[in-house]
Amino acid sequence: MAGQLTASLPAAGAAAPARAAEGQSVPWLLLAPATLALVVMFVLPIGYVLLLSITDPALSIAHYKRIFSVPLYTRVLFNTFTTSLTVTVACLLLGYPVAYVMTRRSDWVSTVLLMCVAVCFWTGFIVRTYAWLVILGNKGPVIGIHQALGLGPPPRLLFTTFSSTLGMVHILLPYMILALYSVMKKIDPNLLRAAASLGARPNASFREVFLPLSLPGVVNGGILVFTICLGFFITPILLGTPKDMMISQLINQQIEELLAWGFASAVAVVLLVATSVVLAVYNRFFGLDRLWG
Amino acid sequence: MILVVAFLVALFLLAPILIIIPMSFSTAVSFQFPPPGYSLGYYRAYFTSHDWLDPTFNSFLIATCSMALTMLLVVPASFGYVRHRFRGKSLFNLLMMSPLIVPHVVAALAYYGYLGAVRLNGTIAGVVLAHGVLAVPVAFLVVCATLKGFDRNLERAAMSSGAGPLRTFFWVTLPVLRPGMMVAALFAFLASFNEAVVAIFISGRDAATLPKKMYESIRLESDPVIAVVSSLLISAVLFGVLLSVVLRRKPANVP
Repeated sequence: MAGQLTASLPAAGAAAPARAAEGQSVPWLLLAPATLALVVMFVLPIGYVLLLSITDPALSIAHYKRIFSVPLYTRVLFNTFTTSLTVTVACLLLGYPVAYVMTRRSDWVSTVLLMCVAVCFWTGFIVRTYAWLVILGNKGPVIGIHQALGLGPPPRLLFTTFSSTLGMVHILLPYMILALYSVMKKIDPNLLRAAASLGARPNASFREVFLPLSLPGVVNGGILVFTICLGFFITPILLGTPKDMMISQLINQQIEELLAWGFASAVAVVLLVATSVVLAVYNRFFGLDRLWG
Repeated sequence: MILVVAFLVALFLLAPILIIIPMSFSTAVSFQFPPPGYSLGYYRAYFTSHDWLDPTFNSFLIATCSMALTMLLVVPASFGYVRHRFRGKSLFNLLMMSPLIVPHVVAALAYYGYLGAVRLNGTIAGVVLAHGVLAVPVAFLVVCATLKGFDRNLERAAMSSGAGPLRTFFWVTLPVLRPGMMVAALFAFLASFNEAVVAIFISGRDAATLPKKMYESIRLESDPVIAVVSSLLISAVLFGVLLSVVLRRKPANVP
């Protein structure tokens, strides 16, 4: 790598004073390794899935017809969409106050909250899913309290749509908070002071000034959480139920139990297209770089 | 009022994670909270069991190698991307970002079929290749951001003072960019270390990573040793976050 870097540096250095010349020198050597790796190790594998979806076992689009006509599968699509929407809204409602307090306070409160979010963010999905297995399990604290209070037969918490939704909210909430926070902390506090000095009550200055300025964060966080949720794998499988499958559960089932490569690939393509459409719409209005910046 | 809400949500974030730590000292044979008694039995089980130590080793090996691969790809690419204008630039950016756009389960299925065709399924090399590429977007974003903030006049000053391009790169450019590069490398390492979905599909038995082993132990056997592994991972995260808070007090540590 060092060889490549330095080999092309003279060109960059020499071109630096004359900006016109800079555009001419195409840095192929620098871009080649990454391009090659991403094409061979990413674009081609995804292309392979596309290919399988229409050629396995025979050349046809029957898999796609099945996905959109068999009620079992349309229910999976619908369920994935509604669950993702629920998780996104829940993350927004829970995350907004946290991000707001983190922005408006600059003392220990902000530090402590940021630490909680960071610890949660960096703890792996599996560890956090496991935590919910314990908490909602038959020998867990929730059922324990329920029984101690003598409230009758214990409710079924685990392996339901509820448990998988709760787990996903817990796992994706840090993403939402960080997306909101990164936009909110750029809001100039002087604007709020100006609103106050012009006679706006705290509620009004929040509604008229802070809230509108924080909306880009709401959109970013919402898109981020929604698209991750569409393809979420671990939590629906470990905490959810096969009765209310999400797309990723369907893919897993088709591969693990039936080895139905063609059909699993077609489902994966539908998921990929759905995610891409959401991101393309976002890109049209805001620009994708903003989402991850 | 809003302060209370914020702290309740923070508690919702943190409490489930912290509940695992007492679980790891439990004597129960299944997932039970609160634990019926306390012992170090499952720690002994973890540190003496190849079923757990091998995946732990694999995870460290794979994360280290794939971090190296990611950085080898990303650093030259970032220089080319930030410092040059060329045709197809936005297409190149899209290519670099594509692993973030494609859901992991789709990538996992793709690798499972693709690597199977070239007999790399269940090998360390296969997982390293997949993880190394999947971490490209995060590292690319960080290195590009660092590079955009770099003052090219530093290089021009070094060159005009008689330093050659090699010397300029290693004595001026690289030291200034080092904090950003280290953050990118750390993110790449963690992206691989925490990655579960692709590993579940392609790492097989011999190259099984820790997340894959944990996933299987939950699904198949409810092995309480998972509480030990989780507690060790949580402790590492707690330590890292505390460290970053302490370091952030000093100036010029955040890229």
